[in-house]
Amino acid sequence: MKKRGIGVGSMYYGLGYGFSRPDIGSATIEICEDGSVIVRSGQVDFGQGSDTILCQIVADELDIKYETIQIITADTAMTPDSGPTSASRITYVCGNAMIKAAQALRKKLEHIAEDILGEKDLVFVDGDIHSEAHPDKKMSFANLAKACHLQGIQMVETGWFDNSTPDVDPDTSQGDAYSAYCWASQLAEVEVDTETGKVEVLRVIAVHDVGKAINPSLVEAQIEGGVVMGLGYALTEEIIEEGCIVKNTSFEEYMISTSLDVPRIESHIIEIPSSEGPYGVKGVGEPALIPTAPAILNAICDALDVRITELPANLENLHRLIREKEKSS
Amino acid sequence: MNKAKLNYVGCSTPKVDAVDKVLGRAVYAEDIRFQDMLYGRVRWADIPHGIIEEIDVSAAKAMAGVFCVLTAKDVPGNNRFGIAFPDQWALAEEKVLSIGDAVAIVAAETDEIAKEAVKAIRVNYCELPVLSNLHEALANDAPQLHASKISSYKKKSGDHYYPLGDGGPQYDKKKRKAEFLHNLKGNVFLHTKVRKGDIEQGFEQADVIVENTYKTHVVDHVYLETESGVGKIDEHGNLVIWNSCQYPFRDRRQIASVLGISQNKVRVIRATTGGAFGGKEDVNVEIHIGLLVHATRRPVRMVWDREESMSYSTKRHAFEIWTRWGATSEGKLCAMEGKVYGDTGAYAGLGIFTIKKCGIHLAGPYYIPHIKVDVCSVYTNNIIASAMRGFGVPQAAIAHEGQMDELARRLDINPLTFRLMNALDVGLSTETGHVMTQEVGIKATLEKLKAVVLKDPSLASYWDDLK
Repeated sequence: MKKRGIGVGSMYYGLGYGFSRPDIGSATIEICEDGSVIVRSGQVDFGQGSDTILCQIVADELDIKYETIQIITADTAMTPDSGPTSASRITYVCGNAMIKAAQALRKKLEHIAEDILGEKDLVFVDGDIHSEAHPDKKMSFANLAKACHLQGIQMVETGWFDNSTPDVDPDTSQGDAYSAYCWASQLAEVEVDTETGKVEVLRVIAVHDVGKAINPSLVEAQIEGGVVMGLGYALTEEIIEEGCIVKNTSFEEYMISTSLDVPRIESHIIEIPSSEGPYGVKGVGEPALIPTAPAILNAICDALDVRITELPANLENLHRLIREKEKSS
Repeated sequence: MNKAKLNYVGCSTPKVDAVDKVLGRAVYAEDIRFQDMLYGRVRWADIPHGIIEEIDVSAAKAMAGVFCVLTAKDVPGNNRFGIAFPDQWALAEEKVLSIGDAVAIVAAETDEIAKEAVKAIRVNYCELPVLSNLHEALANDAPQLHASKISSYKKKSGDHYYPLGDGGPQYDKKKRKAEFLHNLKGNVFLHTKVRKGDIEQGFEQADVIVENTYKTHVVDHVYLETESGVGKIDEHGNLVIWNSCQYPFRDRRQIASVLGISQNKVRVIRATTGGAFGGKEDVNVEIHIGLLVHATRRPVRMVWDREESMSYSTKRHAFEIWTRWGATSEGKLCAMEGKVYGDTGAYAGLGIFTIKKCGIHLAGPYYIPHIKVDVCSVYTNNIIASAMRGFGVPQAAIAHEGQMDELARRLDINPLTFRLMNALDVGLSTETGHVMTQEVGIKATLEKLKAVVLKDPSLASYWDDLK
């Protein structure tokens, strides 16, 4: 027989390291003579897209074209230390460092542009600068950069953002542990085969408060990837150690989700701004995964009236739980 | 000065590396080749716990094409490393504590020769009892895996380490002493206490109490790209390593310490990285590449097979979480108690912080006035458990969401409604007593789910009690 159920999983996640641990982000921005820009930051983009997001932020802070920025990252000889890529903190912490560096440069650029154009009410837009009152008074960002270099103006600035928090009470762990929190709830609908214990996740609805989605596609990619990882965590993946030796070391024996296992995923982005994050940003990298397994486990419980307290909810465990319930009732 | 509207922030701008990745032009560490490059391989521990009596490398050294074979005695600097605490050996000395300990490393002309050479190394052990889970490690008669005076590890490691991996402007080393037990008690390394309100008074108010023990399992990150790196000496005489990592500066710190050279002589460059999910926070190939380059003065490449990655890379923690939740008949949470034990494997890695983060998130996004939680990090002989996406909070969520549904069922309240009734809000405090002063997002996420369910008859039909 096939039984269906739905379940909710909610979570909160303290962003960054908290507890007075070093939690820094940094950036060096350099404007070349032709107006092209080099961004250097020690942060690591291991596929999630932080390089892209940081370039988006710099492009908007300098009002230049995204394509004119080159980002160089994670080279201990070439880039400033930006702390680890972890704790869902890169957009928040390094984004702030980008804004600091970009604003320092922008102030100088504005000053020189005012001198050259003889106007005060300047508008920077997409690589051009013009006077709001007299739009014909204008210049390109490239010409402005060149003028700054000819005047010997420092066209490199470093932004440093420290996200470390006060420590909590060591005896009670009470205090303001983190600078910001991420919030999420997901709902899963499942169908369970009571003969085999096989769970099919039919759909997942994921709602994440990310503060501000700098790049909505990348936020959705994080959520979808997180749901797929959470699906494997709840149902199929398990490292089997016998006598402290890992026994399943190939993908024949260690079952990650395949494209056929992935349900319909509906992502909903909520934007309640944080006070310190750039543009109100919070984090999403880890929150994406956290509610999925609880939602699936609660949905299975809704379908079968069996509470799973030992993971994973794989065929063997679920089959056993269903048989035990049948015997007891 | 007028700021024009945002042109890129808030837009789904294409990824900067999309074209290179689609066209196969992105350069991963494994793709980097140098002239005269050697291939590095590790001889892993044959058993999870034992005293090393003898390592015989003569047969491996004698093989044609083998350039060097290194063991603990060849380490020029401090043989100890580790992120939170230097409790790991770069190359195993005296004993092995896990199957992921490296006993020797080899550099050879080809990968095939290197693989054969590590097999030709003979290691004799005196086997010791194995602690394979939390219960065995916490038993009164369990052998203690690490030295009682953990401070002795620190001295060996010199000054390159932050005290206990912590630090920061307001870090109080003395105050934290009780938490990070300087004198190891059995195999418990960290004991964090959360105390909020009055737990007894809290449970007195409870009309319904739900008590459960949740056991979570070990999983792997399964990134597409396995652990890999290439190193060489550059034109300035500095060691350069291209790797697949999450934090090159911390890798640099650990490599320099083991080689006994200053940090400015080591350059770590992250090559294109094919996923990490927390599994590339800890050092994997970097120190071994550094040692082999240092010894041979030739470029060395080291890439773990999938089998090695699954066997020896860091893992998501197995937890055992006992927890008891109380609520009033009106549906308000009033008390929560928890005992959280995490199996961090043979070494601390970042795992001790992962376990702590689980314990301090056990209350979930709900307001509970009275809380008592004890969090313990436990050493076993398992593969090291360290950071993985969510960092202990996925395990906490499995427990708190199970408890929420059980309480809702007992109180005959819809589970979504029950969450909304107890969700954190402005003026309320988290488990760690952080009073919310800004708009809290949790209710908005639940309200959105509710709206989606109510609009969709196929979902709404599950919950006739949702209004």
